[in-house]
Amino acid sequence: MNFALLKLHPRMIVLTLSMIVLAFVLSSTIGTVKPWGQIDWWDVLGEGGIVLLTILWQFFLLLSRPPGRVTTLLTVGLCCFMFSGLLDFLDEFFRYPEDAWLPLIENIPAPFGMLLISRGLYLWYQEMQVLNAQLRRREANVREHQDVDWVTRLYRADYMREQLRLQLEQGGRCCVAVVDIDQFDAFNRRFGHPEGDRLLREVAELILMNARLTDLVCRYAGDRFILLMPQLTFAQASLQVQQIASAVKHLAFKSGDMAVFHTLTTAVVEAAENESCNALLKRLNTQLAQKKVTKQELHGATVCHARG
Amino acid sequence: MVRPYVTLEDKFIPVQGMVACLLDLAQQRQLNQHKLLRGTGIFAEDLLRPEFYLSLSQLLRLLKQFHRLMPGRDAAFQLGHRLFPSPNAETSAILYSQNLTQVLRLLSCFRLQLAPLLFAYHYQHNGYSYLQLNDAVGMDEQQYQFVVELYCCLLVSASRHLLGERIPFCFEFPFPRPRHIYEYEEHLGLRLAFDRPSLTVKFAQQWLTHPLLQASQLRRQLAMQQVSKKAFKQTFIEMVTHYLHRHRQANLQQVSEHLNMSMATLKRRLKEHNLRFSQLQDRVNMQQAFHLLTVQGLSNEEVAEKLAFHDAPNFRRACKRWTGLTPTELKALALGK
Repeated sequence: MNFALLKLHPRMIVLTLSMIVLAFVLSSTIGTVKPWGQIDWWDVLGEGGIVLLTILWQFFLLLSRPPGRVTTLLTVGLCCFMFSGLLDFLDEFFRYPEDAWLPLIENIPAPFGMLLISRGLYLWYQEMQVLNAQLRRREANVREHQDVDWVTRLYRADYMREQLRLQLEQGGRCCVAVVDIDQFDAFNRRFGHPEGDRLLREVAELILMNARLTDLVCRYAGDRFILLMPQLTFAQASLQVQQIASAVKHLAFKSGDMAVFHTLTTAVVEAAENESCNALLKRLNTQLAQKKVTKQELHGATVCHARG
Repeated sequence: MVRPYVTLEDKFIPVQGMVACLLDLAQQRQLNQHKLLRGTGIFAEDLLRPEFYLSLSQLLRLLKQFHRLMPGRDAAFQLGHRLFPSPNAETSAILYSQNLTQVLRLLSCFRLQLAPLLFAYHYQHNGYSYLQLNDAVGMDEQQYQFVVELYCCLLVSASRHLLGERIPFCFEFPFPRPRHIYEYEEHLGLRLAFDRPSLTVKFAQQWLTHPLLQASQLRRQLAMQQVSKKAFKQTFIEMVTHYLHRHRQANLQQVSEHLNMSMATLKRRLKEHNLRFSQLQDRVNMQQAFHLLTVQGLSNEEVAEKLAFHDAPNFRRACKRWTGLTPTELKALALGK
């Protein structure tokens, strides 16, 4: 697990811990300890479980979110909820005098906390709208984080296959393209694989920038990217892929004090009526393989162009 | 007397090479090294010790951990691309060879140093070369597929490095079409067939004599002076397979006599590699039969005779038992691709 975000929340952690301490202090100063025989262990189990799970949720919340308004609201809300639960849990162990105020108010923080959580969830919804807009072109209507490629942070081929299958089932016009970086192997050998990974990331960004908001870009395999372009004619799709190729061609990728230029080999196909996902991908990959062969015959095996 | 084969526990695999490559890649993908090494019997502080070697079983466990922990489905391919050339004398000898024929000869000499997990038979027929690759250590299905991906990618990547262009290899795999077929297509090309009886790589024979980019006789000879002479040559499975290739239908007793060990020891040694004798014999015969039938195009009778079966119906029955297909169906399978 990655605990980096946890360090950014010192105030929230202090708040949670002080709430826990406060609950213990209040219960033990106001109440007296019950005899062992009078404790209802089923209640202890149930109420203790609620407290522990609430603390666990808080932990994961702080682990997964950077600080901000949403995080604060959710944490404080959960804290109030946990505080009530903890008091409830502790009164299984402590007997309070008849006129004590604590049992009367112990349930008040919980609904207050739930209101805060509800407000936080609403703001979270708004936040997700913003984030989803940022993720456009990287993601279609399904989110499966385990399918995201480690290097480029794009979705992997599995995700694209699924989206493509859905698109083909729906029918309607769509084009699919693959782009492949030329001489990526040679680049890796010369500049090392970490630089190769960085190049993949930058090229992925360029492709995203040149795609429409309704397109989906995924990493296919190795140095190959795949684009799903709904509602485009073949000519429009080809033009867009050309624009991507020319954008990459003009990218002066800096490796050390060198600027390295790259070209792409591309292939575009339009989905035919009732074509299966596999058939379409096969057509696409065959076209790309042919283009690679012709390119190699035309230019020979040139190593990537580098200029000092 | 020196044992003529290496066991799973013999320590002879240096860290430099595949292991270092693997650890490097894992680090780039931010895997936890402790997690990666857990259960492998390798300790991080050992890695830098001179004279530290891994055994085959340690290598297998490390690969298994690597496979399990690496994100994505391309771990084997990523590693395959990084393996060649590695900084050892055997690899240098290959790098400076004249052509692929010489490379293949060196590979068979230093197989355990260069590719310890698979061994190959090389056939030529009608202008094509066939490399039939076999499991040398007895892996489970999942790991076998991982290792096959790794070595096939290494073959493509290394030959491209040596020749400066991509050889159009044809691959036949003994497992079903995987879900991540796109990785195969990207790294190995589009000439792929699955569900075949054996793992075979086919390429045009002309590539064998194509001059290599860095060919240099002097540097190859210099490298050859550096290679370790008393190195292990083969695994146990490999040794028995070789014998079965030369002596068709040899039984357990004949093999154990030839190897100068008791039948019980032979069985036990095979069991260490998760194999039974009959399994191994069937595998050798099946691969031979498939090759003779589909590549050389012999008739059922001729194959039966070559493989020392009594008659063609007997062979037909055996074939059905090995593959679930009759010889005629096998031929059709090869033609139908």
